[in-house]
Amino acid sequence: MKSKGIPLLAGLAAVGFAVTVFLVFTYAPLVEDPVLMFNQKIFYYHVAHAFMLFLATAVCGVCSLIYLKTRKPKWDDLALASAEVAALFGAVVLATGMIWAKAAWDIWWTWEKRLTMSLLLWLVLVGYVLVRRFAGASADRLAAGLAAFGTVGIPFIYFMVDASDHHPKAGAQGVAATLPPEMKLVFWLSVLTFLLWCCALVASRVQAARAERELREIREKGLDAGLFT
Amino acid sequence: MRILILVAFLLVPALGLRDAWAQGHPVTPEAAAMRKTCADAMNADPTFAQAIVETINADTARQHRNAADDVAKNQKHVLGAYAAMWVLAAAFLIFMWRRQQKLVGEIAQLKRDLEAAAK
Repeated sequence: MKSKGIPLLAGLAAVGFAVTVFLVFTYAPLVEDPVLMFNQKIFYYHVAHAFMLFLATAVCGVCSLIYLKTRKPKWDDLALASAEVAALFGAVVLATGMIWAKAAWDIWWTWEKRLTMSLLLWLVLVGYVLVRRFAGASADRLAAGLAAFGTVGIPFIYFMVDASDHHPKAGAQGVAATLPPEMKLVFWLSVLTFLLWCCALVASRVQAARAERELREIREKGLDAGLFT
Repeated sequence: MRILILVAFLLVPALGLRDAWAQGHPVTPEAAAMRKTCADAMNADPTFAQAIVETINADTARQHRNAADDVAKNQKHVLGAYAAMWVLAAAFLIFMWRRQQKLVGEIAQLKRDLEAAAK
């Protein structure tokens, strides 16, 4: 990505933050819900972050598979960047979800299917980052396999909700699809904002990962040529 | 005075019921006797029964209203969730910035190593 692309994405995301925060608290109506009431404002960011968690994880998984097939470093850079950003979005999803659970259900955590799978996905992402950090020379391939494994969990998290769960269903009968028009507008604007934010973070991290790799390669070549001690 | 008597008559069995529920025991005989006394008093005087119902209804409605207001005005969870999001995002940006600084340092070191090797 060109050097102006990341500041542009980050700038658009910043404008999006300001607009969505304003709309969430002034324009989006409160749905009559005796349990949630004002706490439903958490929904706009919590679900948007969950979507970005899925997107970044899917990008990481697909790029990892391509890297395992082609061994081209650019795919590995993109996978690494996506995994770190997905871990960030996953942490936000879990944190905001726990606070919402306390507000709505008066519990911080319950071992229902979606929550448990989300936690497992986040742990896989953290595992990916740790493998990249500590696994040595074959870390890229080990982590790529781990990412492909983690990506399989996304459809389970999204669809694996039944009547016994606290979470509402996903898909055509889900909350996001059946929102009133004003709430739907604010929600999708929020999703767009975090999409821009996600892209800015991934692009920035890709640049850094590429620079780190090139630096490492130059140093290795220098050592091989006897230039450095 | 009448209200106080009503409350006293209602509180004792209510507390008995609550304790019994909490401990998983059946209602005590004393509480059952108090409840029977109360029921007899209500049946004996229709206006007394009506007063109890009105008092309880008003009290229950007030409690429900207070609970709804509390939920509606309670913004601490929303603030907490938004704060968590910003704190985590800031922590990630700091993490990225530190990596960037480390990278800048490594590039400077590489330049120094190259200059030293060229001499």
